[in-house]
Amino acid sequence: MSAAPRSREVVLDIDRLTIGFGGLVALANVSFDVYEGEIASLIGPNGAGKTTAFNAITGFLSVSGDSIRYRGKRLNGLRPNQIADLGVVRTFQKTSVFAANTVTDNIMIGLHRHAGARLWEILLARPRVRDEESRLRAQAGEILEMMGLSAHAEELGGALPYGEQRLLEVAVALAAKPTLLLLDEPVSGMNPSETARFMAMLGRIRAGGITILLVEHDMRMVMGVSDRVIVLNQGAIIAEGAPEEIQRNPEVIRAYLGHGADKRRASKREAGRA
Amino acid sequence: MNRWATGLWVGFLFSIPLWMTDQYYLHILIVAGIFIIAAMSLNLLLGYTGQLSLGHVAFFGIGGYTSALVSLGFDLELTDSYTFVFPAQPVWIAFLAGIVVAGFFGWLIGKISFKVRGAYFVIVTISFAEVVRLVALNWIDLTEGPMALNNIPPFTLGVPGLWELTFWRKIPNYYLVLVTCILSYVVIARLVGSRLGRAMIALRENEPLAASVGVDVTRSLVLAAVVSAAIAGAAGGLYTHYIRIIDPDVFLFIYTVTMVIMVVTGGKGTLAGPIVGGLIFGILPEALREVASPEMQWVIYGVLMILIVYFLPDGIVPAVSSWWKERFDAPPKTGEERA
Ligand SMILES: Nc1ncnc2c1ncn2[C@@H]1O[C@H](COP(=O)(O)OP(=O)(O)O)[C@@H](O)[C@H]1O
Ligand SMILES: [Mg+2]
Repeated sequence: MSAAPRSREVVLDIDRLTIGFGGLVALANVSFDVYEGEIASLIGPNGAGKTTAFNAITGFLSVSGDSIRYRGKRLNGLRPNQIADLGVVRTFQKTSVFAANTVTDNIMIGLHRHAGARLWEILLARPRVRDEESRLRAQAGEILEMMGLSAHAEELGGALPYGEQRLLEVAVALAAKPTLLLLDEPVSGMNPSETARFMAMLGRIRAGGITILLVEHDMRMVMGVSDRVIVLNQGAIIAEGAPEEIQRNPEVIRAYLGHGADKRRASKREAGRA
Repeated sequence: MNRWATGLWVGFLFSIPLWMTDQYYLHILIVAGIFIIAAMSLNLLLGYTGQLSLGHVAFFGIGGYTSALVSLGFDLELTDSYTFVFPAQPVWIAFLAGIVVAGFFGWLIGKISFKVRGAYFVIVTISFAEVVRLVALNWIDLTEGPMALNNIPPFTLGVPGLWELTFWRKIPNYYLVLVTCILSYVVIARLVGSRLGRAMIALRENEPLAASVGVDVTRSLVLAAVVSAAIAGAAGGLYTHYIRIIDPDVFLFIYTVTMVIMVVTGGKGTLAGPIVGGLIFGILPEALREVASPEMQWVIYGVLMILIVYFLPDGIVPAVSSWWKERFDAPPKTGEERA
């Protein structure tokens, strides 16, 4: 499946992004691009800074400067909802659904950006409001169908089995109709058959015109679905390329083999800066 | 609740003055109704957005004072040579002004405090209520301070000189409160059932996730605060023109606590919760007054509240509706039936 990026048009442009937490540098001068229509994977050992990069891109960490651009627009300083309005939507590493809402209502919330009823129309119960609600409900049904969650439509989000909750998270993000979808370890905790199904799903999402940036530890999945892999280690990019190249790259192999030494190195790094 | 049950219930409420001839009972229902409106407004914030406003009575009092002042007229000595004179307005206009001014303060509090949420919101709202109480107490030129605003006109509808309907007696006031109650209910029900209400609920449930799909956190919460404060202001206006006197004690913390108790025991985040809680804790003190000493009243009140919260932590309405579902709704089909 791996191939050269489908186009060379940059959509996400990360340019010398640096993020520190106190003495710890989580990302140091990180630059990478994501191209239109591709599935790019951001990999690296635990603590490499992948989630931090996601937080920065989606406005959950406020970053000054001009280091993050999406389709030419600067994302630095924008709030998460403004970034979602520009078409960049993420999922969370830790399972995150609206636990007390039904699965359908989870999707309805995800569709928030695509409803336009004004307050006065709602208070006067204008016909337009009802039409819009049924339109949204139909769309929610389609999304659930696509994600294979239709059977659970009326169950509470928090009551779903783990694997389905992970699918629901992606469904909620898709409901926001992103043009760039950031997935933070979406298959962690899924069993192999669920993972295989999810990989097929990713292909379908991409086929729907959505660019994907994936953070994942499951290397078989990463190598199977990615057009391009970016490797982050200790806050810096150490390699970038097609999956086959990455698998052969000695520095990547070293970073992953040195996994156990990671914590030690991280604390040394911290001490070094203090 | 389905349409039939709702219709029956509303019909019953409309019929009460026809057969309940004791004016004192009607008085209890009017006051309970006013508190139910206030509790419903608090529920929008507390139940649907999850933000605890412990100064909610401020909006109630602001609505009341504004409505009283606009209906009485007032003058303010701004400089030695200039006095601003505000002429008395028809009460229904004053009532609307009370709603608008309360809503404005809701917006202000929302803007200020939703940047700092949770415990900070609680503190900001408590302080706000206390500041407003001190203003009402000390700005004697405007509010008469502890001497209270007296002779507040009763509610009127119409245009002075042409046609006017004045709500002197209990029965029209009962209907006025009932209609306001129903309107507030409809406003809240439509709001929380809409995309805007879904956004509020989403923030309560999982703020980062809501923000990640495009929900504007500040905007949703400020909207909830404005609507909530405006409805509380309406309740305050009704109260003022019914009791016809208002003093700074209207801002006492105990009234906010009463509203919170109504919402929490009835079931926060449910439409019927504040009504059920409001009926119980609005009527109970009066009912007890006839049979128990004042000390016993408070003991019973407190014990009942603790029992409800202890045994039904989500409140009465969620407990009853889940019991109802289990008892009467078709259980999930078994394999046998499906075959
Ligand atoms: N909010 C935070 N405050 C302090 N340190 C953080 C914070 N978030 C992440 N870190 C640190 O930044 C580094 C990168 O973390 P993270 O981005 O979560 O890694 P990854 O997702 O690649 O496993 C880690 O050392 C982590 O402890
Ligand atoms: Mg991570």
